[in-house]
Amino acid sequence: MPQATATLTPDRQRLELSALSAPAVIFTVGMIAFPVVYTIWLGFQSFSSTGKQSFVGLANYSKLLSDGEFWHGLWVTIALYVLSLVLQLVLGVWLALVLFHAKRLHGIVRSLFISPFMMPPVVAGMMWLVILDPSLGAANYILQSIGLPPSDWLASPSLVIPTIALVDTWQWTPYVALIVLGGLQSLPPSVYEAAQIDGASPFKTFQRITLPLLLPTIVTATILRSVDLLRFFDIIYITTQGGPGNASNTLNIYGFRVGFEFFNIGYASALMLTLTAIVFGAVLAFNRLRGAVAW
Amino acid sequence: MTDAPTTDRWIRWLNTIQLVIAGIIILTPTAWMVMSSFKPSFEVTAYPPTLIFSPTIQNYIELTRTTPFFNYAINSMIVTVGSTSLGLLFGIPAAFAVSWTRISWPAILTLAARMAPGTLFLLPWYVMFRQVGLIGSYTALILSHAVITLPIVIWVLLPSFDSIPRSVFEAAQVDGCSVTRILWRIAIPLVGSGIAVSAILAFVFSWNYFLFALVLSNGDTKTLIAAAFNFVGEGSTQWGALMAAATLIALPPLLLAMLVQRWLVAGLTLGAVKG
Amino acid sequence: MTAKTLMASVAIPILAAATLSQAQGADFNWKKFQGKTITFLANSNPVSQALLTQKADFEKLTGMTLKVDSYQEQQMRQRLVTVMNAHSDEADVFMTLPSREGEQFAAAGWYADLTPLTKDVAGDYNFADLSQALLKAGTFGGKLTSMPMNIEGPILYYRTDILKKCGVEVPKTIKDVEAAAKKLKACDSSITPFVSRGLKPAVAYTFSNMLHNIGGSYMANGKSNLCSPKGKEALETYSGLLRDYGPPGVVNYSFPQISALYRSGRSAMSFESSNELRTVMDGGERLKDTGLAPFPAGEAGQVPTAIGWGLTISAYSKQQDAAWYFVQWATSPEIQKRMALQGIAPPRPAVANDTEYRKWIDEQPVRKEWQAALDVLATKGSSEVGYPIVANPQSREFIGQAVQDLILKQKTVDQACADADKALDALIAQK
Repeated sequence: MPQATATLTPDRQRLELSALSAPAVIFTVGMIAFPVVYTIWLGFQSFSSTGKQSFVGLANYSKLLSDGEFWHGLWVTIALYVLSLVLQLVLGVWLALVLFHAKRLHGIVRSLFISPFMMPPVVAGMMWLVILDPSLGAANYILQSIGLPPSDWLASPSLVIPTIALVDTWQWTPYVALIVLGGLQSLPPSVYEAAQIDGASPFKTFQRITLPLLLPTIVTATILRSVDLLRFFDIIYITTQGGPGNASNTLNIYGFRVGFEFFNIGYASALMLTLTAIVFGAVLAFNRLRGAVAW
Repeated sequence: MTDAPTTDRWIRWLNTIQLVIAGIIILTPTAWMVMSSFKPSFEVTAYPPTLIFSPTIQNYIELTRTTPFFNYAINSMIVTVGSTSLGLLFGIPAAFAVSWTRISWPAILTLAARMAPGTLFLLPWYVMFRQVGLIGSYTALILSHAVITLPIVIWVLLPSFDSIPRSVFEAAQVDGCSVTRILWRIAIPLVGSGIAVSAILAFVFSWNYFLFALVLSNGDTKTLIAAAFNFVGEGSTQWGALMAAATLIALPPLLLAMLVQRWLVAGLTLGAVKG
Repeated sequence: MTAKTLMASVAIPILAAATLSQAQGADFNWKKFQGKTITFLANSNPVSQALLTQKADFEKLTGMTLKVDSYQEQQMRQRLVTVMNAHSDEADVFMTLPSREGEQFAAAGWYADLTPLTKDVAGDYNFADLSQALLKAGTFGGKLTSMPMNIEGPILYYRTDILKKCGVEVPKTIKDVEAAAKKLKACDSSITPFVSRGLKPAVAYTFSNMLHNIGGSYMANGKSNLCSPKGKEALETYSGLLRDYGPPGVVNYSFPQISALYRSGRSAMSFESSNELRTVMDGGERLKDTGLAPFPAGEAGQVPTAIGWGLTISAYSKQQDAAWYFVQWATSPEIQKRMALQGIAPPRPAVANDTEYRKWIDEQPVRKEWQAALDVLATKGSSEVGYPIVANPQSREFIGQAVQDLILKQKTVDQACADADKALDALIAQK
């Protein structure tokens, strides 16, 4: 807790601090209050088939509990989330370390290394769709020319999740790396000097000193990535639309299709609110973790 | 045991090899995209993939001929710059206040808009902005995109403000500075590069977001990214033009990143220094 | 309910309105709504692209302003759903696929009733010449909801040179297709013998053609009918062709992949939309060695899928009468002829016989075969793609799921059709 040894009264100070965060809070509430209330209301309505609207109470939510597609979507969402997040954190930290030690790398080249996340996700999806096409794509062409068997990539029910995770990892690892790189550069040089005098190996230095000090930054990166990964949408929307079968049908994709392809806005609202609650829970949990690893 | 200089050289070598591997993985797809934009449309999906081809700028000509590409680019620029500015205007003081008080709910609240699927906002916002006659206006687009930029600014700046030693503020307070004055005169100059970083990230996210523009814009205010989709469709898929559009769309954020790359790292550096 | 076949199409009230309007054509004035602005929500496909090349002509003729809001299909639908759910008058005219969303949009009350508007029509409009079947496909509950812009459907693209090399005759029946695929596979292993749609939501478009040719139907006595012998035969034949003779990863294939594969010369037979001709011929490599035909006959002969984009007026538009002037201009014989010259198959037989259009057709042999195939679609076609129910878009999911289950060998045909029937019966029962 900060010690306010102020000449100003604490009340005045509190007031000023509230005034500083007020615009952001008022703006956010102004923008999201109506959508949230409206969506909650929509979630109690049925638009099913006839397009006529009627109040159905909690029917959409009880339907959700017995909807196998929802539970499957939840499973797909979590599987994709865990796989992508772990890959991106591990590789992101690795890439940050590599870039950190490449002191002589030119600045422009360095920014090329972080370029993938600047590409619009839609475009990245289109591009990977062509590259990963089992018959025409460059990926299988390369595999075959070095003597490996071709893969079905996005068209295989068992490979589609790992493949999408890889595409997402390609795009977002540099973003994680950038955040971690910032953390790395800020570590006081003194801790390294101490380690060197002790004769610790580079790996030990990383494990004992660098990693623990980096944890707060990593948690920040985790929060920012979690918010996007749990709502996984763009790349699947472009490449498989939830297929093959329903193998990549995440909750967000499912909710979208129910609402905008099958025109059942009521049920879609119930699905999307449930997803929002899941993301919210995850963020709160990580925010606690953030407090725990602070140094 | 080897002597120290040898180990050092060895480690440098190892690092260079890793750097090359990472570079190849990261850059090949992007390079392929740029290359494809200079191929005739049908050659993009040719098999085996062609590496040697006679480059053409036909796709770029087609792009500017069939779509008001530059108008869309200007729209995108207005919306992106507007929403980034708004995000900074509201986000900087908020991040400062959150960092000072260690009460994190305002930061979580602004992130809440990013927790809901974007599609959840489409219909309500359409209804809301229609009520006030703002459909198709830059105002509606800027406000909706500020919902994306605001939490980025706050969360990127939080550690920056956290890193300023408390004693700096306390000294200022003893001198009779108000909180607002401390923010303007002391804190902001100290986190200047952190602000640059958050601005860049906000710019990238706003520039690349297409969903809100889909319903809130009209033919005159449509953004670049929403228009890029038009090259995909039954009987009208133009891979070449799509790749050209993608290349042009990715260019402004990339140029921006190159311009401020020194700040990108430096900004985050300061951000994580603990007082 | 059986397929709405074009042949069986009966005279509908429109014709009465048409004869009436011809009489009134004399005092028709294109400039009646001068100064108004019409907003058109378009799907940026070749149909609207061809139409919009004539935009200046419309504005000059009527003195109205046409504001175009054009999006890729899925995005256009997303915007449309938002605009219509908000009961907004923002879009006056929009493009629609009656075969897909017609029942649903009609039930939701999104379409204006065009029947009364058709009385206000220019003298040369010639209602009677419009494809009666497509008009019927756009009529729900006795209300005409959209005017046809084009006619399209899946056709078979085949490589004459490869078939010749492997000693394969051009298939005349579905059995021939299977035999040809088998022979082609043995003859040249580097070629994909047969390719068509495998992507779940896209399957119904091509599968429906196969089902109807075999003589199957989606529904019988108000129940889903996929487990009928013909239903199972269609499921097995379609998925078998793709599984045994299709490209790897066919479960993700829709028009972009199919056209790319065929265009690059890697597939011998491709069953894909007639609209894709331009994409397939891009680069000119396939011009000389491609043959085109409607999908070969089954036990029920040829019942090709023939659909078209419709132009409709929003029920929430505040200027429906002015919007109608755009709709009738866009679907008039003259404009449809100009679109035809840009490769959009006209929904008017008279335009298809126009000398200028014939000349365009004669320029390339593939165009001749293309038009011949479309003639078959126009006379024998069915517009039934997926279940003829309000929840048609969702019914396509379950058809696609059954086909994918079989392609991926995840279920037996009995399991797949039973699961699909169960889900579809629930969908049919939904009101």
